[in-house]
Amino acid sequence: MVATPDDGAAAGFSSGLSVAEFAACLAMGLEPVGLVQGFCAMQIGNYAMGLTQMGQPVGGQGGYVENYQCPHGMVGGEHRMWGQNYEQTWMEQAWSGGFTAALDRMRDEATRLGAHGVVGVLDTETSLAGAGVIEFHVRGTAVRVTSTSSPSAPWTTYLAGQRLVKLFESGFVPVSVVAAVASVRVYAYCITEYLMGGGGLTMWSPSSSSVEIEQLVRAQSLSRDIVRSLARSQLHGDDLHAARLDVVDREHERGDLEVWSTLRGNRVRRFRAIEALPTPQPTVRLT
Amino acid sequence: MSGTSAHDELRALVRDAVNALAVAPATSEVRTSDLSIDEELNLHAMGWEAVELVSGYSVFSIPMGVWSWGLGEISAAAEAHAKAFSAATRRLHHEAAAAGGHGVVGVHIERSVFSTHIAVSLIGTAVRPVGAGRVGDEHVFVSDLSGRDFARLVLAGWEPLGLATGASFVYAPRRTIGAAIAQQSQNVELTNFTEAIYTARELAMERMQRSAIDLHGSGVVEVKVLEGPMSFAAHAVGFTAWGTVVRLVAGEHHRMRPSLAVSLDDPAIVFDAATLG
Repeated sequence: MVATPDDGAAAGFSSGLSVAEFAACLAMGLEPVGLVQGFCAMQIGNYAMGLTQMGQPVGGQGGYVENYQCPHGMVGGEHRMWGQNYEQTWMEQAWSGGFTAALDRMRDEATRLGAHGVVGVLDTETSLAGAGVIEFHVRGTAVRVTSTSSPSAPWTTYLAGQRLVKLFESGFVPVSVVAAVASVRVYAYCITEYLMGGGGLTMWSPSSSSVEIEQLVRAQSLSRDIVRSLARSQLHGDDLHAARLDVVDREHERGDLEVWSTLRGNRVRRFRAIEALPTPQPTVRLT
Repeated sequence: MSGTSAHDELRALVRDAVNALAVAPATSEVRTSDLSIDEELNLHAMGWEAVELVSGYSVFSIPMGVWSWGLGEISAAAEAHAKAFSAATRRLHHEAAAAGGHGVVGVHIERSVFSTHIAVSLIGTAVRPVGAGRVGDEHVFVSDLSGRDFARLVLAGWEPLGLATGASFVYAPRRTIGAAIAQQSQNVELTNFTEAIYTARELAMERMQRSAIDLHGSGVVEVKVLEGPMSFAAHAVGFTAWGTVVRLVAGEHHRMRPSLAVSLDDPAIVFDAATLG
């Protein structure tokens, strides 16, 4: 149960910080006021998945689309005459909508507590029973900056403890957590299918030796480009610090897979120039 | 400086920082990085800065039937591995150079070997000396060393040149029927597997060293090794090694003289209950 601004003093505070992070907060003049959380259960629609039109798969809704044509001149049968990579923009938007809603709800709780910021943010996503439903859970510790006027909107960061201290000391201030996903669906054409299936010397394969699977490379590269571009669009001139880029392949069936990229990080703003630092000195820790 | 005044300074700094949020960002150049703040500070102390989060990927097919039981090395798989690593590295070079980087540090390497293809993913942060101009793709170094280890390396008078890698996949030859029957229920070394591992190791390490020499390096540091039977072909073993190629650029190696230090990391911070009030 989250304390409200009215009963905060009587109820004390809750916090997701470790004792070390808590101590670092106090050293910075950040007073924990509550463990704040936001949730959102989002259904990701699949209305455009796997549909075909005139024998061709349907591309993304305004995103990246690339077509691959069979070079063999074959018609019908199980031969894949066409293939397509397409960005699943509706999935990206649904994910972004769910994450942002949960983040905003966490921020709202922090605002009600009179907090200036939220540190040590954690976010998780869990598939709920029932197809295509994701529960987003974002939580962190709301903090007030002592001897400072009322905040406008709370800043947020995945950082806490000494790393947050060092961030401030190096001239950066956290603005917001940033998260984005990119989803590129790969519907393999004949060449990709044969190569993924162990492309030996058959009448359809381009070579009997090892060759690059171009359609997959394009999908992977574009998925990574898109997610970085989406994250950049949230920076508004600030920097992205301590980011993490994860890329996974999800194979739905043979020749039909999805490249899912997730990028999380801290949007930070430089508020003063960093001073020249002394040359690092090697040390042996007495621990 | 007393502990109290240090705390006061830090608190004043944090107040200034939070108040500065009302001001729009001053710089137009946006930087992205997956480095930790410790790594960034180490780089800064060396006169380097993070520029951009960059990535390179490649996947190469493995021809059908190569994993069937045979003798010797499965050269088609080793070739696919080398090509995939090379293409992914080339793309990382290109992205880093396009972003203005002179090198890529802290590269996360993910390599997946399937019976039909081998995929290599490289993700890291492009870095450059502060304010330095652009360089061509061929002058960008790639390293899986952390920002901290990169700083240590440079301090010692060395420079990273690139990633070296080598892989080999070898069939474990069949035992004769007589040997299989004789060894049944025995505690006995399966020398066919041991020898296959040794063969794969020799070939992989030799290839890694060859790629280091091609980069004009004098050694490879932080070598990682993956070895064992292939999950999809239990009669074949694989051995892969990779690391960062380095070269001494100073006249001689600078000996590091570490000093003893009491850590001021999180656990050592004094808890000040008075501040709760």
